[in-house]
Amino acid sequence: MAAAITREFPKVKVDYARERRLKVTAAPEAVKDVALFVRDRLGFDHISAVSGVDWIASNEFEIIYFVGSVSKPGYEDFVIAVAERVARDDPVVPTLIGVWPGAEYHERETHEMFGINFKGHPNNSHLILPEDWNDMPPLRKDYVSPGR
Amino acid sequence: MTVQKDGAVQVLVGKVGDVLQYAIGDPLRYLANWGRLYSLWPVHLETACCSVEVGAAAGSRFDIERFGALEAFGSLRQCDLLIVMGTVTRKLAPRLKLIYDQMAEPKWVMAMGACAITGGLYFDSYNVLRGVDDIIPVDVYIPGCPPRAEAVIQGLVLLQEKIRRLPSLSGR
Repeated sequence: MAAAITREFPKVKVDYARERRLKVTAAPEAVKDVALFVRDRLGFDHISAVSGVDWIASNEFEIIYFVGSVSKPGYEDFVIAVAERVARDDPVVPTLIGVWPGAEYHERETHEMFGINFKGHPNNSHLILPEDWNDMPPLRKDYVSPGR
Repeated sequence: MTVQKDGAVQVLVGKVGDVLQYAIGDPLRYLANWGRLYSLWPVHLETACCSVEVGAAAGSRFDIERFGALEAFGSLRQCDLLIVMGTVTRKLAPRLKLIYDQMAEPKWVMAMGACAITGGLYFDSYNVLRGVDDIIPVDVYIPGCPPRAEAVIQGLVLLQEKIRRLPSLSGR
């Protein structure tokens, strides 16, 4: 499967965390094509989560889409993580709602927790944070909680 | 002449009012507060595990009704005791204030558990209020994580002691 991805996209980076876990790191411009490939050709059609990682030392955000498969026999416990890295100063990435519609809620949460703007997202209002939240996104590493 | 007469009548009425207040004000206040303290209707704001302990206190083993706090009740507009059981998040805080404002006077508040008192385990979270006394006045604090049912009963008895000694009829 990793070979199929690298054959199709020579530029993406494929890592193994362990058995049946695969991580595909792509550039933000190419991530939609990779996602479509993962969905249509590899059959991974179920999105489990979207998470963000704040790599503050290298001044980057990493957005990770965890996708599994419910339709491909034998791959029920297989997880592919489609990741992309974007500069911390201007975090704008394309939304992947067109690929996995279930990503809408998760992208909204990632937006309000990390301040990452998903271009093309229909609704970026506050969902989990209070409506009157005006501080910086709280899961960034340089956020200081008022209680500390 | 009439002015003087009216002034005298007013002074007389004032004196009679003072006498009346001394004569029946204190017994009336005692009676009203006595009625209040044995029929506390609580609003349960159940956000965390403390509500289980209140459930135990209301159950047959501890039976908080013996002491005069009734079970969970339908409308908070008829209640006079707000028990905040558990963590209050930033998002819940305006709703908690709304609940408090909707209750009729006189009303009392019990903050139950470490989370409701100081934020508890989550004091340094971005999303948790560090004590409900930031937004509403609290009468009785019940410490513990969670407090046992005996502690709930002790808090209730403390609150009743406070109501018994209230200096005015208005409940404040």
